[in-house]
Amino acid sequence: MIAIQTDDVDIGALINAAKQSRTGAVVVFDGIVRDDDIIEMELEAYEEVALKELERIAEDAKQKFNLQSVDIIHRIGRLAVGENILIIVVSAGHREEAYAGSRFIIEAIKAGVPIWKKELTRDGGRWVPGDHPHGSGSKKT
Amino acid sequence: MSVRIRFFAQFGELFGTEIIQESVPGTTFTGLIMEIAAKNKEGYDAIFDKNGAFLDFVILMKNGKRLDNADAGKTRIADGDEIAVFPPVAGG
Repeated sequence: MIAIQTDDVDIGALINAAKQSRTGAVVVFDGIVRDDDIIEMELEAYEEVALKELERIAEDAKQKFNLQSVDIIHRIGRLAVGENILIIVVSAGHREEAYAGSRFIIEAIKAGVPIWKKELTRDGGRWVPGDHPHGSGSKKT
Repeated sequence: MSVRIRFFAQFGELFGTEIIQESVPGTTFTGLIMEIAAKNKEGYDAIFDKNGAFLDFVILMKNGKRLDNADAGKTRIADGDEIAVFPPVAGG
């Protein structure tokens, strides 16, 4: 399942669905709204483009790390402290591939998928600066 | 010709998130955005340098594909195109 959505997701169900007969490891990444003196977080996406990029990243990760399954669910809209932002579930035959594949996916998302976060505070709000601050050149995935 | 322009994050707050712009055929990517930013000094200063080039960190897309900032001044926009201008991404 690759999705950008407002609703939360059942991580346990994703883990169960990721298990196949030759699965030896499932790795879950759960990115969460951290309390940095904020009230809520608002997430925005260029949805049509972001979804295609998530699908491409998932396919790349499957091929590079021999993953058996990849789920990526990125939430948008307003989220409270403690809520899930991004869930990545990967399964593989062995832990090395599962860990490496999961890490590849989160770094690729942070580098190039058009999604933004705004921290809403008592004084207003502030956009979270990106990790890769420039627009010249090709995608850094 | 009619072009759909999408702005995201702080740029969406400055310009509006979606604009349908009517422009003359042959207009460049930079020219089209300048038509909009000319009426909005705060917005203009957020995305253009003093020479009228996109600031280095600004990310551009045409029909869902990245466009190098250095090519924006010579990239012609056609009727029905969708272009996007946004700051560095921060998902995850």
